[in-house]
Amino acid sequence: MPPPLDLTNLPDADVVLLAQQGRERAFRELVRRYERPVFSLIYRMVRDREASEDLAQDSFVKVLNHIDRYRPEFKFSSWIFKIANNVAIDFLRKRQLDTVSMDGSPHAGSASEVEASSFELADRQETALDEMEAREIGTAIERAIARLRPEYRSCIMLRHIEGRSYEEIAATLDLPLGTVKTYIHRARNELRVALQDVRE
Amino acid sequence: MDHRHLLPSEIDLLLDGDAGFGLAPLRAHARRCPECQAELEAARQLVALLDDLPHFAPSASFADRVMADVQVFEPWHVTLADSVRRLVPASRPARVLAAAGALTTAFAMTVAVVALLGRLDLVVFVTEFLADRARAAVVATLGNAVTAVFGDVAATALARSGSAGVALGAAAFLVSLVVATLLLRALTLAYHRQRS
Repeated sequence: MPPPLDLTNLPDADVVLLAQQGRERAFRELVRRYERPVFSLIYRMVRDREASEDLAQDSFVKVLNHIDRYRPEFKFSSWIFKIANNVAIDFLRKRQLDTVSMDGSPHAGSASEVEASSFELADRQETALDEMEAREIGTAIERAIARLRPEYRSCIMLRHIEGRSYEEIAATLDLPLGTVKTYIHRARNELRVALQDVRE
Repeated sequence: MDHRHLLPSEIDLLLDGDAGFGLAPLRAHARRCPECQAELEAARQLVALLDDLPHFAPSASFADRVMADVQVFEPWHVTLADSVRRLVPASRPARVLAAAGALTTAFAMTVAVVALLGRLDLVVFVTEFLADRARAAVVATLGNAVTAVFGDVAATALARSGSAGVALGAAAFLVSLVVATLLLRALTLAYHRQRS
Protein backbone atom coordinates (compact mmCIF):
# COMPACT_ATOMS: atom_id res chain seq x y z
CA MET A 1 0.00 0.00 0.00
CA PRO A 2 1.57 3.39 -1.00
CA PRO A 3 2.20 6.06 1.68
CA PRO A 4 -0.20 9.03 2.13
CA LEU A 5 -0.47 11.27 -0.98
CA ASP A 6 2.05 14.13 -1.13
CA LEU A 7 0.57 16.56 -3.62
CA THR A 8 3.21 19.27 -3.27
CA ASN A 9 5.59 17.79 -5.83
CA LEU A 10 3.01 16.54 -8.32
CA PRO A 11 2.62 18.37 -11.64
CA ASP A 12 -0.58 20.39 -12.11
CA ALA A 13 -2.11 17.82 -14.46
CA ASP A 14 -1.82 15.05 -11.86
CA VAL A 15 -3.31 17.22 -9.11
CA VAL A 16 -6.20 18.13 -11.39
CA LEU A 17 -6.77 14.42 -12.08
CA LEU A 18 -6.99 13.76 -8.34
CA ALA A 19 -9.39 16.69 -7.98
CA GLN A 20 -11.55 15.19 -10.73
CA GLN A 21 -11.68 12.00 -8.64
CA GLY A 22 -13.20 14.06 -5.82
CA ARG A 23 -10.22 14.48 -3.51
CA GLU A 24 -10.64 17.65 -1.49
CA ARG A 25 -6.91 17.85 -0.76
CA ALA A 26 -6.27 18.16 -4.48
CA PHE A 27 -8.67 21.11 -4.73
CA ARG A 28 -6.91 22.81 -1.81
CA GLU A 29 -3.50 22.18 -3.40
CA LEU A 30 -4.62 23.94 -6.59
CA VAL A 31 -5.81 26.92 -4.53
CA ARG A 32 -2.54 26.96 -2.60
CA ARG A 33 -0.47 26.98 -5.79
CA TYR A 34 -2.34 29.71 -7.59
CA GLU A 35 -3.91 31.98 -4.97
CA ARG A 36 -1.01 34.45 -5.00
CA PRO A 37 -0.48 34.63 -8.79
CA VAL A 38 -4.20 34.92 -9.49
CA PHE A 39 -4.78 37.48 -6.75
CA SER A 40 -1.73 39.50 -7.86
CA LEU A 41 -2.90 39.58 -11.47
CA ILE A 42 -6.37 40.73 -10.49
CA TYR A 43 -5.14 43.19 -7.85
CA ARG A 44 -2.81 44.91 -10.32
CA MET A 45 -5.70 45.12 -12.76
CA VAL A 46 -8.42 46.50 -10.50
CA ARG A 47 -6.43 48.10 -7.63
CA ASP A 48 -9.03 47.30 -4.98
CA ARG A 49 -8.01 44.66 -2.42
CA GLU A 50 -11.49 43.70 -1.28
CA ALA A 51 -12.85 43.50 -4.82
CA SER A 52 -9.74 41.58 -5.90
CA GLU A 53 -10.33 38.95 -3.23
CA ASP A 54 -13.93 38.54 -4.34
CA LEU A 55 -12.93 38.34 -8.00
CA ALA A 56 -10.11 35.89 -7.27
CA GLN A 57 -12.54 33.77 -5.23
CA ASP A 58 -15.04 33.82 -8.13
CA SER A 59 -12.28 32.75 -10.53
CA PHE A 60 -11.31 29.77 -8.40
CA VAL A 61 -14.91 28.73 -7.78
CA LYS A 62 -15.68 28.87 -11.52
CA VAL A 63 -12.66 26.76 -12.37
CA LEU A 64 -12.92 24.23 -9.53
CA ASN A 65 -16.67 23.69 -9.92
CA HIS A 66 -16.05 22.81 -13.55
CA ILE A 67 -12.85 20.84 -13.02
CA ASP A 68 -14.34 18.01 -15.06
CA ARG A 69 -14.03 20.24 -18.16
CA TYR A 70 -10.24 20.50 -17.86
CA ARG A 71 -8.35 19.09 -20.83
CA PRO A 72 -4.84 17.81 -20.07
CA GLU A 73 -3.40 19.05 -23.39
CA PHE A 74 -3.68 22.62 -22.04
CA LYS A 75 -2.01 24.04 -18.95
CA PHE A 76 -4.17 24.46 -15.87
CA SER A 77 -2.42 27.76 -15.17
CA SER A 78 -3.47 29.13 -18.57
CA TRP A 79 -7.06 28.22 -17.84
CA ILE A 80 -7.21 29.88 -14.45
CA PHE A 81 -5.34 33.00 -15.64
CA LYS A 82 -7.79 33.31 -18.52
CA ILE A 83 -10.76 33.21 -16.15
CA ALA A 84 -9.05 35.65 -13.76
CA ASN A 85 -8.23 38.07 -16.57
CA ASN A 86 -11.79 37.93 -17.88
CA VAL A 87 -13.36 38.63 -14.49
CA ALA A 88 -10.95 41.53 -13.95
CA ILE A 89 -11.70 43.03 -17.38
CA ASP A 90 -15.45 42.66 -16.79
CA PHE A 91 -15.08 44.38 -13.42
CA LEU A 92 -13.09 47.24 -14.95
CA ARG A 93 -15.65 47.71 -17.68
CA LYS A 94 -18.28 48.09 -15.04
CA ARG A 95 -16.23 50.39 -12.88
CA GLN A 96 -14.57 52.26 -15.80
CA LEU A 97 -11.32 52.62 -14.03
CA ASP A 98 -8.75 54.21 -16.35
CA THR A 99 -6.00 55.38 -14.08
CA VAL A 100 -5.40 54.84 -10.40
CA SER A 101 -3.29 56.83 -8.03
CA MET A 102 -0.63 54.97 -6.05
CA ASP A 103 -2.00 56.90 -3.12
CA GLY A 104 -5.42 55.41 -3.61
CA SER A 105 -8.22 55.17 -6.15
CA PRO A 106 -9.76 58.46 -7.30
CA HIS A 107 -13.13 56.78 -6.69
CA ALA A 108 -12.35 56.16 -3.03
CA GLY A 109 -14.89 57.85 -0.82
CA SER A 110 -13.48 57.20 2.63
CA ALA A 111 -10.13 56.70 4.38
CA SER A 112 -10.60 52.94 4.43
CA GLU A 113 -11.29 52.85 0.68
CA VAL A 114 -8.19 54.98 0.02
CA GLU A 115 -6.14 52.52 2.07
CA ALA A 116 -7.69 49.53 0.29
CA SER A 117 -6.82 50.94 -3.14
CA SER A 118 -3.28 52.11 -2.33
CA PHE A 119 -0.23 49.88 -2.56
CA GLU A 120 1.91 48.42 0.20
CA LEU A 121 5.37 47.28 -0.78
CA ALA A 122 7.75 45.15 1.20
CA ASP A 123 10.72 46.78 2.91
CA ARG A 124 14.21 45.95 1.63
CA GLN A 125 17.42 45.27 3.52
CA GLU A 126 19.53 48.10 2.02
CA THR A 127 21.07 51.45 3.03
CA ALA A 128 18.64 54.25 3.74
CA LEU A 129 19.42 55.96 0.40
CA ASP A 130 19.22 52.66 -1.53
CA GLU A 131 15.99 51.85 0.20
CA MET A 132 14.52 55.24 -0.63
CA GLU A 133 15.61 54.94 -4.25
CA ALA A 134 14.40 51.37 -4.54
CA ARG A 135 11.02 52.24 -3.04
CA GLU A 136 10.74 55.17 -5.39
CA ILE A 137 11.49 53.04 -8.44
CA GLY A 138 9.33 50.22 -7.17
CA THR A 139 6.46 52.61 -6.58
CA ALA A 140 7.06 54.32 -9.92
CA ILE A 141 6.86 51.07 -11.83
CA GLU A 142 3.62 50.10 -10.10
CA ARG A 143 2.27 53.55 -10.99
CA ALA A 144 3.38 53.13 -14.56
CA ILE A 145 1.79 49.68 -14.81
CA ALA A 146 -1.44 51.10 -13.39
CA ARG A 147 -1.52 53.64 -16.23
CA LEU A 148 -1.30 51.00 -18.95
CA ARG A 149 -4.37 49.91 -20.84
CA PRO A 150 -5.86 46.78 -19.22
CA GLU A 151 -4.96 44.67 -22.25
CA TYR A 152 -1.34 45.80 -22.09
CA ARG A 153 -1.29 45.28 -18.34
CA SER A 154 -2.46 41.65 -18.59
CA CYS A 155 0.16 40.85 -21.23
CA ILE A 156 3.06 42.51 -19.42
CA MET A 157 2.15 40.84 -16.10
CA LEU A 158 1.80 37.40 -17.63
CA ARG A 159 5.07 37.86 -19.49
CA HIS A 160 7.25 39.20 -16.70
CA ILE A 161 5.65 38.35 -13.35
CA GLU A 162 4.34 34.92 -14.34
CA GLY A 163 7.11 34.20 -16.84
CA ARG A 164 4.79 32.99 -19.61
CA SER A 165 5.94 32.71 -23.21
CA TYR A 166 4.28 34.75 -25.94
CA GLU A 167 2.53 31.63 -27.22
CA GLU A 168 1.14 30.81 -23.74
CA ILE A 169 -0.08 34.39 -23.29
CA ALA A 170 -1.78 34.27 -26.70
CA ALA A 171 -3.52 31.00 -25.74
CA THR A 172 -4.47 32.31 -22.30
CA LEU A 173 -5.94 35.60 -23.51
CA ASP A 174 -7.34 34.26 -26.79
CA LEU A 175 -5.31 36.77 -28.80
CA PRO A 176 -3.24 36.34 -31.95
CA LEU A 177 0.48 35.96 -31.29
CA GLY A 178 1.26 39.13 -33.20
CA THR A 179 -1.19 41.10 -31.07
CA VAL A 180 0.48 39.87 -27.88
CA LYS A 181 3.91 40.90 -29.15
CA THR A 182 2.53 44.31 -30.13
CA TYR A 183 0.87 44.82 -26.75
CA ILE A 184 4.05 43.87 -24.85
CA HIS A 185 6.17 46.04 -27.10
CA ARG A 186 3.88 49.05 -26.56
CA ALA A 187 3.63 48.37 -22.83
CA ARG A 188 7.43 48.29 -22.50
CA ASN A 189 7.70 51.53 -24.46
CA GLU A 190 5.18 53.27 -22.24
CA LEU A 191 6.85 51.97 -19.10
CA ARG A 192 10.28 53.03 -20.34
CA VAL A 193 9.04 56.56 -20.98
CA ALA A 194 7.25 56.70 -17.63
CA LEU A 195 10.39 55.62 -15.76
CA GLN A 196 12.69 58.03 -17.65
CA ASP A 197 12.24 60.82 -15.10
CA VAL A 198 12.93 58.57 -12.16
CA ARG A 199 16.20 57.37 -13.65
CA GLU A 200 17.33 60.89 -14.46
CA MET B 1 22.34 47.94 -40.34
CA ASP B 2 25.08 50.46 -39.50
CA HIS B 3 23.25 53.40 -41.12
CA ARG B 4 20.45 53.38 -38.61
CA HIS B 5 19.87 52.68 -34.95
CA LEU B 6 17.93 49.69 -33.60
CA LEU B 7 14.18 49.96 -33.79
CA PRO B 8 12.22 49.46 -30.54
CA SER B 9 10.86 46.17 -31.91
CA GLU B 10 14.41 45.01 -32.60
CA ILE B 11 15.40 45.88 -29.03
CA ASP B 12 12.47 43.75 -27.88
CA LEU B 13 13.74 40.85 -29.98
CA LEU B 14 17.16 41.11 -28.33
CA LEU B 15 15.52 41.37 -24.87
CA ASP B 16 13.50 38.22 -25.37
CA GLY B 17 16.64 36.28 -26.21
CA ASP B 18 15.11 34.57 -29.22
CA ALA B 19 17.40 32.67 -31.53
CA GLY B 20 17.40 33.32 -35.24
CA PHE B 21 19.48 34.34 -38.21
CA GLY B 22 18.21 37.90 -38.17
CA LEU B 23 19.45 38.58 -34.66
CA ALA B 24 23.19 38.30 -35.29
CA PRO B 25 23.42 41.64 -37.15
CA LEU B 26 21.28 43.28 -34.42
CA ARG B 27 23.62 42.04 -31.72
CA ALA B 28 26.64 43.10 -33.73
CA HIS B 29 25.23 46.62 -34.13
CA ALA B 30 24.36 46.84 -30.43
CA ARG B 31 27.98 46.00 -29.59
CA ARG B 32 29.31 48.77 -31.87
CA CYS B 33 26.74 51.54 -31.26
CA PRO B 34 26.91 53.25 -27.84
CA GLU B 35 23.42 54.78 -28.20
CA CYS B 36 21.79 51.46 -29.03
CA GLN B 37 23.81 49.81 -26.29
CA ALA B 38 22.42 52.35 -23.82
CA GLU B 39 18.86 51.79 -25.10
CA LEU B 40 19.26 48.04 -24.81
CA GLU B 41 20.69 48.35 -21.31
CA ALA B 42 17.80 50.62 -20.21
CA ALA B 43 15.35 48.09 -21.65
CA ARG B 44 17.11 45.25 -19.80
CA GLN B 45 16.86 47.20 -16.54
CA LEU B 46 13.15 47.71 -17.11
CA VAL B 47 12.68 44.00 -17.73
CA ALA B 48 14.67 43.21 -14.57
CA LEU B 49 12.37 45.53 -12.58
CA LEU B 50 9.30 43.86 -14.04
CA ASP B 51 10.64 40.37 -13.41
CA ASP B 52 11.32 41.36 -9.81
CA LEU B 53 7.79 42.50 -9.03
CA PRO B 54 6.37 40.49 -6.12
CA HIS B 55 3.19 38.49 -5.82
CA PHE B 56 0.60 39.92 -3.47
CA ALA B 57 -1.04 37.57 -0.98
CA PRO B 58 -4.78 37.41 -0.33
CA SER B 59 -6.14 37.17 3.21
CA ALA B 60 -5.35 34.11 5.34
CA SER B 61 -8.92 32.80 5.08
CA PHE B 62 -9.00 33.00 1.27
CA ALA B 63 -8.58 29.26 0.66
CA ASP B 64 -11.31 28.37 3.17
CA ARG B 65 -13.73 30.84 1.56
CA VAL B 66 -13.04 29.37 -1.87
CA MET B 67 -13.57 25.80 -0.62
CA ALA B 68 -16.85 26.79 1.04
CA ASP B 69 -18.25 27.53 -2.44
CA VAL B 70 -16.67 24.57 -4.25
CA GLN B 71 -18.80 21.45 -4.62
CA VAL B 72 -16.59 18.53 -3.68
CA PHE B 73 -18.09 15.07 -3.92
CA GLU B 74 -15.68 12.43 -2.72
CA PRO B 75 -16.83 8.88 -3.65
CA TRP B 76 -16.92 6.39 -0.75
CA HIS B 77 -14.18 4.23 -2.22
CA VAL B 78 -11.85 7.23 -2.45
CA THR B 79 -12.53 8.13 1.20
CA LEU B 80 -11.98 4.50 2.23
CA ALA B 81 -8.73 4.24 0.29
CA ASP B 82 -7.46 7.51 1.84
CA SER B 83 -8.46 6.34 5.34
CA VAL B 84 -6.63 3.04 4.90
CA ARG B 85 -3.67 4.89 3.43
CA ARG B 86 -3.52 7.10 6.55
CA LEU B 87 -3.39 4.02 8.82
CA VAL B 88 -0.40 2.55 6.98
CA PRO B 89 2.87 3.49 8.76
CA ALA B 90 5.38 5.52 6.78
CA SER B 91 8.55 3.54 7.50
CA ARG B 92 9.21 0.07 6.11
CA PRO B 93 10.04 -1.62 9.51
CA ALA B 94 6.81 -0.21 11.02
CA ARG B 95 4.84 -1.51 8.04
CA VAL B 96 6.38 -4.97 8.46
CA LEU B 97 5.51 -4.94 12.19
CA ALA B 98 1.94 -3.81 11.52
CA ALA B 99 1.47 -6.52 8.89
CA ALA B 100 2.81 -9.17 11.27
CA GLY B 101 0.44 -7.98 14.02
CA ALA B 102 -2.53 -7.99 11.67
CA LEU B 103 -1.75 -11.50 10.43
CA THR B 104 -1.34 -12.81 13.99
CA THR B 105 -4.66 -11.27 15.08
CA ALA B 106 -6.45 -12.65 12.01
CA PHE B 107 -5.01 -16.12 12.63
CA ALA B 108 -6.03 -16.11 16.30
CA MET B 109 -9.59 -14.97 15.44
CA THR B 110 -9.89 -17.67 12.77
CA VAL B 111 -8.81 -20.35 15.25
CA ALA B 112 -11.36 -19.08 17.81
CA VAL B 113 -14.22 -19.08 15.26
CA VAL B 114 -13.35 -22.57 14.04
CA ALA B 115 -13.20 -23.82 17.65
CA LEU B 116 -16.59 -22.28 18.40
CA LEU B 117 -18.14 -23.80 15.29
CA GLY B 118 -16.84 -27.15 16.48
CA ARG B 119 -18.70 -26.69 19.77
CA LEU B 120 -21.88 -25.15 18.36
CA ASP B 121 -24.11 -26.91 20.92
CA LEU B 122 -22.24 -25.19 23.76
CA VAL B 123 -22.62 -21.81 22.02
CA VAL B 124 -26.39 -22.34 21.62
CA PHE B 125 -26.78 -23.42 25.30
CA VAL B 126 -24.88 -20.38 26.61
CA THR B 127 -26.81 -18.00 24.33
CA GLU B 128 -30.19 -19.41 25.43
CA PHE B 129 -29.18 -19.27 29.09
CA LEU B 130 -28.16 -15.62 28.83
CA ALA B 131 -31.35 -14.77 26.88
CA ASP B 132 -33.54 -16.42 29.57
CA ARG B 133 -31.78 -14.52 32.33
CA ALA B 134 -32.24 -11.24 30.44
CA ARG B 135 -35.93 -11.95 29.76
CA ALA B 136 -36.56 -12.80 33.42
CA ALA B 137 -34.87 -9.56 34.52
CA VAL B 138 -36.97 -7.47 32.11
CA VAL B 139 -40.23 -9.15 33.16
CA ALA B 140 -39.40 -8.67 36.84
CA THR B 141 -38.63 -5.00 36.30
CA LEU B 142 -41.82 -4.42 34.32
CA GLY B 143 -43.84 -6.33 36.90
CA ASN B 144 -42.49 -4.12 39.69
CA ALA B 145 -43.28 -1.02 37.64
CA VAL B 146 -46.86 -2.14 36.91
CA THR B 147 -47.41 -3.06 40.57
CA ALA B 148 -46.12 0.33 41.68
CA VAL B 149 -48.41 2.20 39.26
CA PHE B 150 -51.55 0.05 39.00
CA GLY B 151 -51.42 -2.07 42.16
CA ASP B 152 -51.13 -5.81 42.89
CA VAL B 153 -54.52 -6.76 41.41
CA ALA B 154 -53.75 -5.30 38.00
CA ALA B 155 -50.27 -6.78 38.02
CA THR B 156 -51.64 -10.26 38.81
CA ALA B 157 -54.29 -9.99 36.07
CA LEU B 158 -51.65 -8.89 33.57
CA ALA B 159 -49.35 -11.76 34.56
CA ARG B 160 -52.19 -14.31 34.14
CA SER B 161 -53.21 -12.96 30.72
CA GLY B 162 -49.89 -14.03 29.20
CA SER B 163 -48.18 -12.47 26.16
CA ALA B 164 -51.43 -11.32 24.54
CA GLY B 165 -52.42 -9.45 27.66
CA VAL B 166 -49.02 -7.81 27.95
CA ALA B 167 -49.13 -6.76 24.28
CA LEU B 168 -52.65 -5.35 24.75
CA GLY B 169 -51.54 -3.46 27.82
CA ALA B 170 -48.53 -2.02 26.00
CA ALA B 171 -50.69 -0.95 23.05
CA ALA B 172 -53.21 0.71 25.39
CA PHE B 173 -50.38 2.55 27.08
CA LEU B 174 -48.96 3.82 23.77
CA VAL B 175 -52.37 4.96 22.53
CA SER B 176 -52.97 6.80 25.82
CA LEU B 177 -49.56 8.45 25.49
CA VAL B 178 -50.28 9.68 21.94
CA VAL B 179 -53.76 10.96 22.86
CA ALA B 180 -52.36 12.75 25.92
CA THR B 181 -49.63 14.38 23.85
CA LEU B 182 -52.10 15.60 21.22
CA LEU B 183 -54.43 16.96 23.90
CA LEU B 184 -51.61 18.81 25.62
CA ARG B 185 -50.47 20.28 22.29
CA ALA B 186 -54.00 21.45 21.47
CA LEU B 187 -54.34 23.03 24.90
CA THR B 188 -51.00 24.83 24.53
CA LEU B 189 -51.88 26.18 21.09
CA ALA B 190 -55.27 27.38 22.33
CA TYR B 191 -53.62 29.10 25.26
CA HIS B 192 -51.11 30.89 23.00
CA ARG B 193 -53.86 31.94 20.58
CA GLN B 194 -55.88 33.32 23.44
CA ARG B 195 -52.91 35.30 24.74
CA SER B 196 -52.12 36.79 21.32
